[in-house]
Amino acid sequence: MRFLKSLEILKIPEILKTLNILRAPDSLKAKGMKYSWFRNLTIGFAFFFTLLLFLSIGALLFVLKPSEILSALLSEEMFYSMKLSMLTSSASTLSVMCCSIPTAYALSRYSFPGKGLIKTVLGLPMAFPELVMGLALLLLFGHGFLGPYFEALGIKITFTRLGIAVAQFFVAFPFAVRVIYSTFEDINPRYEQVSRSFGYGEFETFRYVTLPMARSGLFASGVITFARCIGAFGAVLILAGGSYMHTEVLPVTLYLNISYGNLEMAITSGILLMGIAFLAIFSFERFEGGRL
Amino acid sequence: MSFLEVRDLCLNVGGFELSRIELKAEKGDYLALIGPTGSGKSLLLETIIGFYRLEKGRIILEEKDITDLPPNMRQISIVYQDHMLFPHMDVFENIAYALRKKLRDKKQIEAEVRQIAGVLGIGELLYRKPATLSGGEKQRAALARSLVVRPKLLLLDEPFSALDARTREKLREMLKKAISEYSTTVLHVTHDFEDVWTLANRVVVIRRGEVMQTGDPESVFKRPSPDFVAEFLGTNVLKGKVKALEGKLTVIEAEGLEIYSSDPAEPGEDIAVSIRPEEIILARETVESSARNILRGNVTGVFKKEHLVVVEVKMGNAEIKAVITPTSCEMLGLEPGRETYAVFKASNARIIR
Repeated sequence: MRFLKSLEILKIPEILKTLNILRAPDSLKAKGMKYSWFRNLTIGFAFFFTLLLFLSIGALLFVLKPSEILSALLSEEMFYSMKLSMLTSSASTLSVMCCSIPTAYALSRYSFPGKGLIKTVLGLPMAFPELVMGLALLLLFGHGFLGPYFEALGIKITFTRLGIAVAQFFVAFPFAVRVIYSTFEDINPRYEQVSRSFGYGEFETFRYVTLPMARSGLFASGVITFARCIGAFGAVLILAGGSYMHTEVLPVTLYLNISYGNLEMAITSGILLMGIAFLAIFSFERFEGGRL
Repeated sequence: MSFLEVRDLCLNVGGFELSRIELKAEKGDYLALIGPTGSGKSLLLETIIGFYRLEKGRIILEEKDITDLPPNMRQISIVYQDHMLFPHMDVFENIAYALRKKLRDKKQIEAEVRQIAGVLGIGELLYRKPATLSGGEKQRAALARSLVVRPKLLLLDEPFSALDARTREKLREMLKKAISEYSTTVLHVTHDFEDVWTLANRVVVIRRGEVMQTGDPESVFKRPSPDFVAEFLGTNVLKGKVKALEGKLTVIEAEGLEIYSSDPAEPGEDIAVSIRPEEIILARETVESSARNILRGNVTGVFKKEHLVVVEVKMGNAEIKAVITPTSCEMLGLEPGRETYAVFKASNARIIR
């Protein structure tokens, strides 16, 4: 259930609920309720837009012949972009998890000056456009502020593959913190207090009690983070440039090929991205269902 | 110097406040902390164990000032109402986890776990996950985990309040045995006066973050200094002796009264009887009733309490409280000096030892 709550933040249950409306009339019928025009209208809307959504997904899947998809999949560009997407998203997911777990824990367990500020700042990227985030990162890591220092260390972030991971990190981090925060909030601090009373220090308690208890929430946020990293576009495009076969990840492939009018490649990368999103949701459900 | 001393403890956490708490316990004492909900009892426990920083005051345990020690250095254990067994470990692991900071040797750990499991009767449950246990079993496992480390001080935060009456009674007995075997000093927060009566040798009454009264259970129940103690505990306790057995009923001679109880007892046994005020019916004359106990007495006091009326009746050598509605009070014309009959079922006269 903890995990379902984590999903709520990301509005995924709302999508699932919309699909569930297919079943709703039965339960109402059983109660012998009469249908009003208003009820029918609202349900009509629900169906209409669900249908549109299904159709659009169907369009994505059925416009191309399987042979066309296959040849697009096997193209050098797609191969490169897939590999780079996997690589950068894995790296950024890993670093997001490493940073968001302590951040979320601090926010959930300790009170300290500036806590409110941190919460607000972490909430900002959820509301403001990814493009703006990309621009902000470009300015930060560009020539103006931190760029020269990093370059002195031999690290170049703008218009590089490292930049992709950095952009993905900043896009996904606030989400991960939210999900993990709610996971920690759901664990009664008394578990930790009991562990402390047996002589365990704070870190040991975190390691042996809190982390294992949070594992399903952590897994959920890992999957969500990966999905967000691999789907990140605006910030990646601006910070890393989105240049052909260099900083080209799946969403960039979609974008570049759409602008060349190369539909096969665009649609295939779209299918790949969607497939990853579905896999993410599916593995949540599986993991949650099989737990305990 | 006492074994445990809480001196002038002051604390304010999220609206709950403790002010100038003074507490003393000798080694082996069993202290019951009672008081209404929100009076700060649980907060006091969590302060003693070290989860809150004090604003003022000192806590001294075994001649050592532990006020500024972190919780992991205090050797104090706690059992909460909702057990707090780690859900990802089975019962054995839960108990062994508590021991690992104390013992290195695996065999020794296992031996200790098995010993406490034997005392609390959870030997069969050691390899089950907490989620598969009943409420009473979970609480026994939690007690085992806390006791196995032989803490200097054991804190119990309403450990039995989520359990049914029979389980509670069974657990109380097990706890009593375990405490004597592991010889610890106990602070027990409770709402249940039977916990106090059967387990504690001293009672501390807390109200609105202040200690109101301290004493042995009998004096606190019999001569509650501030009125609220009696109100809060809300039960009549009569001490007496079992006179005879009549079929399935036990006849008790207590404070000049003859009381029938459906609880089993041995003739000649020294016991006490508890009757809850809301289970006593008052009548103007003897009535035909299925209730076995019909006692005559004189009203000594009538007090309003929220939307009910508390009537004090002197009968035999005892003063018994009954709670009735204002309407029945008016109908019966109850006022001090008036004669009245107290009627209650044998099953409502509960024997406590």
